[in-house]
Amino acid sequence: METAALIVVLVIALALFFDFTNGFHDTANAMATPIATGALKPKVAVLLAACLNLVGAFLSTEVSKTISHGIINEDAISSSEMLPIIFAGLIGAITWNMLTWLLGLPSSSSHALFGGLIGATIVGTMSLSSINFGEVLGKVVLPAVIAPFTAGVIAFAATRLAYVLTRRYDGKPDGRDGFRWGQIFTSSLVALAHGTNDAQKTMGVITLTLIVAGWQSSSQEDPYTWVVFACAFAIALGTYVGGWRIIRTLGKGLTDVKPAQGFSAETATASTILASSAFGFALSTTQVASGSVIGSGLGRRGSTVRWRTVGRIAIGWLLTLPAAGAVGAVAALMVTWLGGWGVFIDAVLAVIIIVGLFLRSRKDEVNASNAMSEVADSGLAVKVKRNPPPTRRQRRIEREEARVRAEEEARAKAEAKAAAKAKAKADAKAAGERSKADAAAKGAARPAKGGDKK
Amino acid sequence: MIEIDWLAFVQVFVAALIASLLVVGFYAIAVRLLVRAGRVPVVAPAEFTDAITVISEKEARRAEKAAAKAAKKSPLTDGQKRLALVGAYASFGMCGLAVLGGLLLIIFGH
Repeated sequence: METAALIVVLVIALALFFDFTNGFHDTANAMATPIATGALKPKVAVLLAACLNLVGAFLSTEVSKTISHGIINEDAISSSEMLPIIFAGLIGAITWNMLTWLLGLPSSSSHALFGGLIGATIVGTMSLSSINFGEVLGKVVLPAVIAPFTAGVIAFAATRLAYVLTRRYDGKPDGRDGFRWGQIFTSSLVALAHGTNDAQKTMGVITLTLIVAGWQSSSQEDPYTWVVFACAFAIALGTYVGGWRIIRTLGKGLTDVKPAQGFSAETATASTILASSAFGFALSTTQVASGSVIGSGLGRRGSTVRWRTVGRIAIGWLLTLPAAGAVGAVAALMVTWLGGWGVFIDAVLAVIIIVGLFLRSRKDEVNASNAMSEVADSGLAVKVKRNPPPTRRQRRIEREEARVRAEEEARAKAEAKAAAKAKAKADAKAAGERSKADAAAKGAARPAKGGDKK
Repeated sequence: MIEIDWLAFVQVFVAALIASLLVVGFYAIAVRLLVRAGRVPVVAPAEFTDAITVISEKEARRAEKAAAKAAKKSPLTDGQKRLALVGAYASFGMCGLAVLGGLLLIIFGH
């Protein structure tokens, strides 16, 4: 019983640490675009993100229910088996998260968590029936595949709408700078959505642990209030402590994000995550934000996709679930083979990983190779021309202007020609009159001479 | 037999699409009306961090001048400008209401 209690405490501590690292990594999803467009100062952005992650954690518990009451068949596994498995799953998730963070590989904290839990459960129980694959497919895998596309399509439509409604054809200022104000508001929404979806994943893991240990009734789906508070504060603290260093790196890849585009991308990200959270879909906020950035980039005129970059991001995403699953499985194998010693070794490994992560974060070296940069990569996945081609209406206006110009030129030419002709005519007339006058003068002079002779 | 609730995905897509278009649409209309009212928003970036290339202060000043010049040349009467300004604030308000409505739907709808 004492060992079980110790493992429960360890699992909760590890889950909260995972929540902390999640906040640490994912602040950038919310705040990368407003910083890239200069809408917010980095420190203000991180503080705002931390506060809204905290508030977001209290909005809904649907995702938590998906994890605590859907993914794993707790009834098929005894509590003495299950607790070390959850512990091993968390070790798998954190190890994979840290590895990808150090190597700068695209990854998702959420998928690492699910992969770790699923891998550890399958290996720990040596049975596939311990996993509820219907729930995993319907609430984790399919949303992971569909949500980035959904966000991309929505961001594309929203960006088009924003540009169409603010476009001016007379060359006067269009006021699109005003979207910078709006970005403060939409990036706050993304932070809120992140808190709503990601903090709940940890709530779900802790609730699952409490149910397995018999400290919470399985009929009670909602997490305890202290669990909600603990997860909310852990994610908010992680956001505040680690966020702004990563954001600076992320902003670098998003230099070409215009305020109207960033506003639309963030709105699409926030609405997709919030709507999904209401249905209990456990999403990767990183993937949704990346989908939105790509979609909004495509919404700008003259943009093309860099498929190689998109492919690299997609491969990283596809790898996360099985890779974290493999690490979780290895951790679970140790528990299965070595029993209590396995848990001890896993715990030592967890401490080494946590200390390693801390020491790594202390180094004042923030660049693209040691920070997660998926969202930034997504910004690079779309190439936008500096001078986009004109719209149909702009082409029509240009044609009309060219026609008017040509007509004016032709009229001016005709007028000049007519004026020259008239002048020539007048000159000729004047010359004729002059010659006539001369002839008349000569004629008049001749009889006068003759008369003199007479 | 694995059962997938496909309707939920459609609902998420439709809800997110409507919410996004409402928010972006109202905000864009508000910005457009502000411009019509002769108050072109020129918002200089908050900070020039070394990692980010954004418009310089000189460019921002030039943009402010161009905005002021365009506002002077506006063919609208004072009444029309005032109406555009009221419309702009109303659109900003609608945008905020759309967000609030969405959040309330998530908190109390489930």
